[in-house]
Amino acid sequence: MKHPVALALAALLCAAASASGAQLDGASAETGPATGLADSAALRATVFGTAPQDVAPLPESVPLAEINIALPWVRTVPDVFWFDRRLRVWFSAQNKPAPLAIVISGIGSDGNTAKLSTLRAALYGAGYHVLTMPSPTFPGFIVSTSTTGVAGDLQQDGRDLYAAMQQIIAHLPRRVEITDIDILGYSLGGANAAVVKSIDAVEGKLKIHRAVMINPPVSLFNSVARLDKLFAISIGSADSGVERLYRRLYTRLANLYRMSERVPNDDTDLLAAAASVLKSDADFSAAIALTFRIALMDMFFAGDLYAGTGVVIDPRHPPRPGDSLEETARILRGKPFADYFAQVFAPYYLAHRPHSTPESLRADSNLAIMGATLRSNPDYYAQTNSDDLILDKPELEWLQATLGSRIAVYDHGGHLGNLGERRQISDMLDMLSGHWRESGQ
Amino acid sequence: MRVALCLCFAVWALDGCASQELSIRSLPPETPAADNAAAIKNAAALAAVATAASHGPAAEESEHAVIPLTTADAPSMYSYDPWERVNRFTYRFNARFDEAVFLPVAYGYGRLPAPIRSGVHNFFRNLDEVKTIINYAVQLQPAAGAHSLGRFLINTTLGIGGLFDVATKFNLESEPTGFSMTLSRWGLHPGPYVVLPLLGPSTLRDSVGLLADFGVAYGINLADLYRGDKTWAFGVVDAVDQRANTSFRYYATGSPFEYETVRFLYVHRELIEDDALHVKDQPKVRDVDKPAGQ
Repeated sequence: MKHPVALALAALLCAAASASGAQLDGASAETGPATGLADSAALRATVFGTAPQDVAPLPESVPLAEINIALPWVRTVPDVFWFDRRLRVWFSAQNKPAPLAIVISGIGSDGNTAKLSTLRAALYGAGYHVLTMPSPTFPGFIVSTSTTGVAGDLQQDGRDLYAAMQQIIAHLPRRVEITDIDILGYSLGGANAAVVKSIDAVEGKLKIHRAVMINPPVSLFNSVARLDKLFAISIGSADSGVERLYRRLYTRLANLYRMSERVPNDDTDLLAAAASVLKSDADFSAAIALTFRIALMDMFFAGDLYAGTGVVIDPRHPPRPGDSLEETARILRGKPFADYFAQVFAPYYLAHRPHSTPESLRADSNLAIMGATLRSNPDYYAQTNSDDLILDKPELEWLQATLGSRIAVYDHGGHLGNLGERRQISDMLDMLSGHWRESGQ
Repeated sequence: MRVALCLCFAVWALDGCASQELSIRSLPPETPAADNAAAIKNAAALAAVATAASHGPAAEESEHAVIPLTTADAPSMYSYDPWERVNRFTYRFNARFDEAVFLPVAYGYGRLPAPIRSGVHNFFRNLDEVKTIINYAVQLQPAAGAHSLGRFLINTTLGIGGLFDVATKFNLESEPTGFSMTLSRWGLHPGPYVVLPLLGPSTLRDSVGLLADFGVAYGINLADLYRGDKTWAFGVVDAVDQRANTSFRYYATGSPFEYETVRFLYVHRELIEDDALHVKDQPKVRDVDKPAGQ
């Protein structure tokens, strides 16, 4: 059984998971073409994440349970998604009455990523029950929970998340006593968290107290457009670009082992090797862009299947579990988010939402539509970085102007590259407990 | 007949597990503080290796002999999978079996005290040294064989029958090999991708290697462990130990493309292994139009 090793290789291509702390000396020797979207430090931080020696103190032990729940409104599950019928979330319970922190994952990710694990540990250590949830753009969520099957609409995704949270909390063991509920999320999950809190403000079913957005986008569409641009610059369009990238990385990794005359013998070994073959800005950019594209492929596939838009799936002959999806994957690798919007998302929502236009759909997925709430309600907080590559300058300024003293902007970290650092964690806990301003910010 | 009945029951049981409305499964606790401490140590070790590699003479010396690959030598991105339909079915069966039987047992095992688990783990890995020694012998790698023989002798004696991995403490790290690697040294390609029932992703060469290694272990029958009913008990404990030490989770990706992803990673990892084993040969000539492994 060599699964973990195999997944370590995934890190070669998805690098985001390879936060093995392998900040090797000399790794910056090569520099690639500038992307113009982020500087070298931001790209590097985004890929490698927080170095282990900079991580905030974490508890020795964190209890963990996995909850699988079939939601009453689940739609007919397509054969090809047979494994995603139930929503899967993770829960860590205190053995005393405590506030609950709900944490939402980033785009395309499940509810138990390494980043969530860090946040879970920090929150549990600070005395919270912790519930970690997948992103509404994660295929497991789209199939088990989404009422539309077409992910990416902030309001719709927020409503689906909110409904799922109520079901989960109602099914928690009786011994779990919840005194208060706060909500957080990173990346797209940050925007999701804010929207869920705003929905709850109207419906009042959970009485969510505070929300903290960690490296959120302002406009979902602007942010993903930046990632698509990163893909086009660092990998090129479509198939040949991915093939070139693959050849480059395969050769480097194989040569690394040839030079050292040994065979990769365990997963940490291969993981470290995979991380160390990423050297230039172009490599980092490609790794970030490809990670995002892989997430988009799943979302695109599910959306096309549910909406029946027929871009890669023939609605009359949907794929069966025994069918090869290699060709479908190949086509989807070449499709940017703009195609998802134009070919799946917009056709679906324009048909289902009277009086909507493509422009109104874009506006609906911009935090600006809840700008007034963010400005006046003291319970919304954010943390971001001045070099976060999913924000442009006007967007960062808008966040600062809107949240005022309730935002912390760090001078490093790129996108999520400082998540788990001492400062980020202590500020986050201050925000959640309402002590943020008192701590002198 | 009895086998057929058992299979029917298994399929029914697996179906039943998947249709439950709510399940709360408690997992072994996470240990973030210890994990981070290990990561710090790891990073320091890596940095040391990198510094040594960039300054040491060893790297230069070996460069004379090693023929570096160029991007043209990389195998195709696609994998050779002529038995895809059966493989996909097996993959799906494995996922269900894992969810319903294998994982719950492994999680239960994970709650045993750590010294017991490491004892069991060391014991089985020590048994594996036997096949490692034999394969190094067949591969004509006396140094590596002696290394593994040393490990085996130390761990079997000082390590009380293999329960403690004393050798690693003496800086004799484990360097396992198997018949699949022997075949690779002899120049055999991985062949088609195969998903083995219960065991998971493999290739034809790996499957043959697995079978041969087991055959040899069975033939040697060390300490009479490979005969009679206890063989099954040992096999099950070994499997549970391996599962508990493997973090892979079927369909954790939630993705419809998981089968393709795992296949790509498995086959290409094996090809990298191949390339690493044949450093002094001219790179293999690969037909880029043919899927990797064909």
